[in-house]
Amino acid sequence: MKKTIHITVNNKPVDLEVQPNQTLLEVIRERLRLTGTKAGCLAGDCGACTVLLDGKPINSCLVLAVQAHGKQIMTIEGVETPQGLHPLQAAFVNKGAIQCGYCTPGMILTAKSLLKRSPKADEAQIRKAISGNLCRCTGYQKIVEAILFASRSSL
Amino acid sequence: MMAELGEGVKPIAGGTDLIVNMRRGAATPEHVLSLGRIKELCAMDLSGSTLRIGACCTVASVAESSNIASRFPALCEGALSLGSPLIRNLATAGGNLVTARPAADLPPPLMAYDGSVTLQSSCGKRVVALDRFFVGPGRTAMKPTEILTSIVLETPAAFSGASYIKLGTRRALEISIASVACFLSLERPGGKILAARVVLGAVAPFPMRAGDAEKTLIGEIPSPPLFLKAGQAAAAESKPIDDHRGTAEYRRDMVSVLTQKMLGVALERANASE
Repeated sequence: MKKTIHITVNNKPVDLEVQPNQTLLEVIRERLRLTGTKAGCLAGDCGACTVLLDGKPINSCLVLAVQAHGKQIMTIEGVETPQGLHPLQAAFVNKGAIQCGYCTPGMILTAKSLLKRSPKADEAQIRKAISGNLCRCTGYQKIVEAILFASRSSL
Repeated sequence: MMAELGEGVKPIAGGTDLIVNMRRGAATPEHVLSLGRIKELCAMDLSGSTLRIGACCTVASVAESSNIASRFPALCEGALSLGSPLIRNLATAGGNLVTARPAADLPPPLMAYDGSVTLQSSCGKRVVALDRFFVGPGRTAMKPTEILTSIVLETPAAFSGASYIKLGTRRALEISIASVACFLSLERPGGKILAARVVLGAVAPFPMRAGDAEKTLIGEIPSPPLFLKAGQAAAAESKPIDDHRGTAEYRRDMVSVLTQKMLGVALERANASE
């Protein structure tokens, strides 16, 4: 019993037939082949599957695809600008904020949403904002530095 | 639809609990019914002194509401303690109540404000005080055909204050070791306590009112020795268990400490309020 949903992914409208029990994460990775969004704990604890749903960062492993009907979704693949890497992506590269890379898409999307709301976010706000995105390599310091750098250079 | 589908149906709102339980096989509903598109359930409105929070308001929207921050700061503290920013963008206020987890973050502040919930089925509507809503771990006074539609709070009288604190080993994505919400209403700044509510989380099968602690406080002039007595009373009437998060003994000690601390904050807010 498939259901048809209409969603906008990275500014492109998409119509899809999905199973009612498929998660948004599964649809993004397996149907749309946008594998930048990672599957981690599948319980909402790690944030590897973060996407922006109507501009807000959420765990896509906890949302049924049918619940996303009519909504705007942004994945890491939609972050790059026509001019090249988004300033946040460039900052992550330049500040060495990436090791294994598994948490990076989620970190960048969460940071993007933070900087949209608070363009001058300070370190405390950044640490709070990314508290649902776990990194097991870097110890967060360089990630925070990269976001802080992007926030300063966006002034 | 709830009545038609019978017991095999489970409403879904934020999904942060249900989806995880379904994946683990702990919940196996035949049908999942989304409440997300019912506009009335997503509204929050203040009319006069009554605040009505639609059950499907996200926890993030509760945390960010200026009406809640100014009138119900302890609820704001509860909302900001829940899960992570990502979870708060999905999880709903109603969901944190109907799942009835003993360590949930919204029930203690809501009960401190003497909140109630509206339950609705195809047969009608009823209002239940949160004090009588929780009946066991994961169990509430709701019938299978009912849904929770809204949370109702009355703005406290002048010279009232409340506060909430959660003790965990980390600051995000944490299940409380113990949590405490306190409410105090004074006759005037610096005056006697007219009303007191002390609510304990994670130290009983469901969020509980500490009645003995409240009795200790009512009619007295606030002071650190009085708060110590109230904290000890709350610890004595709590019913914590030993688990991997903490021992019962530690939890009981923490109930006393956290209660004293929160009474202090509630008092400060009561003295500062008009």
